[in-house]
Amino acid sequence: MNPLLRFADVSFGYGDGDAIQSASFDLQEGSCTALIGPNGVGKTTLLRLAAGVLRCTSGSVLLNDEPLNRLAIRTVARTIAFVPQQLDLPFQFTVRQVVEQGRTPYLGLLRGPMRDDRIAVDRALKLADVSVLQHRIFNELSGGERQRVKIALGLAQQPKLLLLDEPTQNLDIGRQIELIDLLHFLRAEGITIFASIHDIQLIEGNFSTVLLLSRDTPLVSGTPADVLKPSILEKAFNCPPRRHPLLLERTQSRGKRAG
Amino acid sequence: MSSGDGHSPPGRARFVTLVVLLAATLAIAVLLSLATGAVRVSPAAILAALFQHHPLTATQQIILLQIRLPRVLAAAVVGAALAISGLMFQGLFRNPMADPYVIGASGGAVLGASVGIYFFSQLSAFGFSATALLAFAGSVATMAVVYSLARANGKTHVITLLLAGFAVSTMLAYSSYFFELLDSNGGSGNRILLSWLHGVIGIPRWTQLSVTAALLLLATMVAVPLMRQLNTLALGDEYAHQLGLRVEYTRVGIILTGSLLTAAAVSLGGLISFAGLIVPHIARLILGPDHVRLLPVTALAGAIFLVVADTLARSVFAPTEIPVGIVMAFIGGPFFLYLLRKTKRSYAL
Repeated sequence: MNPLLRFADVSFGYGDGDAIQSASFDLQEGSCTALIGPNGVGKTTLLRLAAGVLRCTSGSVLLNDEPLNRLAIRTVARTIAFVPQQLDLPFQFTVRQVVEQGRTPYLGLLRGPMRDDRIAVDRALKLADVSVLQHRIFNELSGGERQRVKIALGLAQQPKLLLLDEPTQNLDIGRQIELIDLLHFLRAEGITIFASIHDIQLIEGNFSTVLLLSRDTPLVSGTPADVLKPSILEKAFNCPPRRHPLLLERTQSRGKRAG
Repeated sequence: MSSGDGHSPPGRARFVTLVVLLAATLAIAVLLSLATGAVRVSPAAILAALFQHHPLTATQQIILLQIRLPRVLAAAVVGAALAISGLMFQGLFRNPMADPYVIGASGGAVLGASVGIYFFSQLSAFGFSATALLAFAGSVATMAVVYSLARANGKTHVITLLLAGFAVSTMLAYSSYFFELLDSNGGSGNRILLSWLHGVIGIPRWTQLSVTAALLLLATMVAVPLMRQLNTLALGDEYAHQLGLRVEYTRVGIILTGSLLTAAAVSLGGLISFAGLIVPHIARLILGPDHVRLLPVTALAGAIFLVVADTLARSVFAPTEIPVGIVMAFIGGPFFLYLLRKTKRSYAL
């Protein structure tokens, strides 16, 4: 089966050397992929390339076998939704008004929102479980609520692929689990998920694939069990062996399992 | 515009009520303004002449049709144009402090117009005087300069924007004074320029008034689809792009339309501060930030605001008239400071 999104030898630089060096990987339809890697390695850049917000300097990003930069941006916006870390609004928009912006790729210059658009917005609000917040002011919400509203905005685009940049960042553990449950739910709805994740302990059992981006080494891709090994993580994150509880715990549990 | 993006019905009812109320208020303001002046014509007499064929005297007719009506309508057009362009610039810059006066578009229009007044006063093209065309060119050019100065890494920095606008508009204002000095014969050019710098709404000829009103109508129609795009743009350039919006087109559309409106306002009333700042601001406090709904409300409210201010300008110290620009500075300034104080939490940078 052809992948939904394919990175074929993609490089990208902001001007001072390449931030992403010849990255190649596939996102299969229906998969749920976690992107991990040390700070500043280019996880956000990789996601922005996948969203078509940035254009790669060499190689190509293919959406259903078509180069992303040759597709109309409206077509891309109907297939891929990107949920960035930050959303700063200058005015006091309500949650519903924010989520309605997800219908932008379906509206024309003279075609305003219709019944279909209202239904899509209602559904997105419901899927992300923020229907009760819809008349609240976005800027007055908590971090966890904002995260869900941003996801609802992405869902209003009715995407096949949902890209999320650190969706669990700044959330307390309860809200993190709520968010992970939401991702499970969306995956069951048939949406392919690709998210950068800072909290590695959230990955196992929740993501089907892990993509490890690290400096000066090729991308590592595989199942969580394959990639989340202390030996691999220590090297990728440049962390001394057994110093981090995550590495320690895993070594022990694996030891027990082996014994 | 029914494309008010599916708010709950109460929100829609409130919007419709507000528009109807404002339209009625504008009609009353125009009527009272027509009745005000050295020769008193009662509002009842005007209404009777309109609806019951009780003719006014010949003098009254001349005063109303040749003097007061053009001026009152000019004030309405100026107010609506300034308020809409203020709304557009605030949306584009994602900042409630932006308005055509603050960011220098008005100054650019005055400079362009003063070049026209002193050097090309006889020229015209496509039915527009060189003065009007140069006002538009000055306004667009200033906007382009200020905008490019304030942008870095795909973001518009508020402080840079305000400072760039301040610097550019100060330079432009003093350039206009410079032209004044060059005009050796102290003729009509100086008088025209001075009244522009103070913000005086003159008594326009009917042709000028109707052309400007047509421009306002055209710009407002162009603005309708742009308003929805401004809602998307509020999420930020990159977010808007990701949602399939051609951000560059929107930006160019807003700058051209906003500058056109500014130039239209300047051509009738010169430099008038605060109208473009306060009106969208208050409308947003009442209605929320949806630009689609704010468009008709700010247009009507801006028209009312300026009709009232101009009526005060010509009646409070009668028979002496003061420029409406001064009234706006006296009323608008303190009022804006009050708003700023009241809502300062929202502007934390």
